[in-house]
Amino acid sequence: MKLAGKLALITGGSRGIGLGIAEAFVAAGAEVIVCGRAAAADVPHQVRYQQLDVANTTAVTGFIEHCIGRHRRIDILVNNAGVQVEKNVIESTDDDWDQVMGVNARGTFNMCRAVIPLMENKGSIINIGSISGAVADPGMALYNASKAFVHGLTRSIAVDHGPHIRCNAICPGWIETGMLEAGFAAASDPEAARRDALARHPVRRFGKPEDVASMALWLASDESSFATGQLFTIDGGMTASSPLNPALF
Amino acid sequence: MKLQGKTALVTGGRGGIGRAIVSRFQQEGAYVYAADLSEQGSLGIENQECGHFLKLDVSSEENVKAAFTRVTEEQGKLDILVNAAGIEIEKTIEDTTLEEWNRSFAVNVTGTFLTSKYALPLLRAAVTEKSTASLINFGSYDGFIADPGLAAYCATKGAVHALTRAMACDHGPQGIRVNAICPGYIDTPMLQSFFEGEGSGGEGGTIESLQQAVRDVHPMRNYGTPTDIANLVNWLASDEARYASGQLWVLDGGLSAQVQQMKL
Repeated sequence: MKLAGKLALITGGSRGIGLGIAEAFVAAGAEVIVCGRAAAADVPHQVRYQQLDVANTTAVTGFIEHCIGRHRRIDILVNNAGVQVEKNVIESTDDDWDQVMGVNARGTFNMCRAVIPLMENKGSIINIGSISGAVADPGMALYNASKAFVHGLTRSIAVDHGPHIRCNAICPGWIETGMLEAGFAAASDPEAARRDALARHPVRRFGKPEDVASMALWLASDESSFATGQLFTIDGGMTASSPLNPALF
Repeated sequence: MKLQGKTALVTGGRGGIGRAIVSRFQQEGAYVYAADLSEQGSLGIENQECGHFLKLDVSSEENVKAAFTRVTEEQGKLDILVNAAGIEIEKTIEDTTLEEWNRSFAVNVTGTFLTSKYALPLLRAAVTEKSTASLINFGSYDGFIADPGLAAYCATKGAVHALTRAMACDHGPQGIRVNAICPGYIDTPMLQSFFEGEGSGGEGGTIESLQQAVRDVHPMRNYGTPTDIANLVNWLASDEARYASGQLWVLDGGLSAQVQQMKL
């Protein structure tokens, strides 16, 4: 029980990667609070769910005050809440900016600013960055930029709030979620697209939420007590290989 | 004439990228040695105008010593060293023989070590209050991300990247700048050989269709030319780049800026 007695807060934890992390933390003995934008969510019974829009500073402040009343400290914060808009710079509207930067950038910032004082000089913050924060996905300008913000903030928090608070980011590649399936469904030949995409992964499969969760569990635990300020990529080797693979033409 | 009065030596100077660098340096007013295994180089071109030829196997310490003895006698200094000599073995490590592995490291890594080692006294002799010396290595975008079936090559280029930073730290205080150029796909005999190589053509593809497909993957929709590389080498060699050191300069038409592309 690596996380016995610890309280973990996970944003965007009602499905996909966030839910996978919540399940792993519960299995490791942590008390887990998950928050999301929906009023209610279907989460494991051990997990407490709270509605929260992380982009809203007032809502975050109120949520944290509510938490302090019932919990003296937060040990682990996972900033997983994220949205994506599939547009390039020219196509992106101010609303797109507010939505993507609001959740991915301001939301992560809001949560870190509110939770760090509650960590009482010992805690682990895990931000969900992305391989797209390092290399660009086409037509995802704001999303790519918002993840690069997360990477930069991760290093800043590690530097400013060490030695007792650690902050790292996980950069997932293609994880089997509804988002990935929608991408294949939109292809002219979905099966060919899937085969091609698999061939670009040295491990010959896509990631599962558990793959990200196992890294999050390690980063949350004391086993990673020397790891801080780093970006950990979990992508089945995809970004280790060149995007140009003549064998796939 | 950015390089007026400067002396430069380019290894692999009669190869695809090397020739472009040598002629650019000459246009900019430098005295240039083109060091290579043969006068024709890998292109097999008879062009004696392209730099002062210096026969050199960069993996031979005796050869390298002799080359720099000649440069010392003729010029007494060296402002610019470009380590462009390199070889590529197109195999996985399982298929790579120890001899091929050693040869890759002998040319790409040991060669860079030897020429740099024996050039350093000459580079220091070129440094003045107004001017730095510039040492330019050839890394590759393959030193960051892998192309399939190029294991030894990828490893040698990773080594060159680390060596570049190490030399920049050690010799910066002496007025010597050390950088590496990391080319992506450049139109050279090495690239054409890759196009013609086993398993490179995909199913039923021709060299032409493969070349077009390679262009299409690049954000710039083309692969590079030796001139593109020479343009950056020229800047790094010149005093305009006097604050640039210890860096790995990727020049790849944007190829490595992107994630793998989903086929839609």
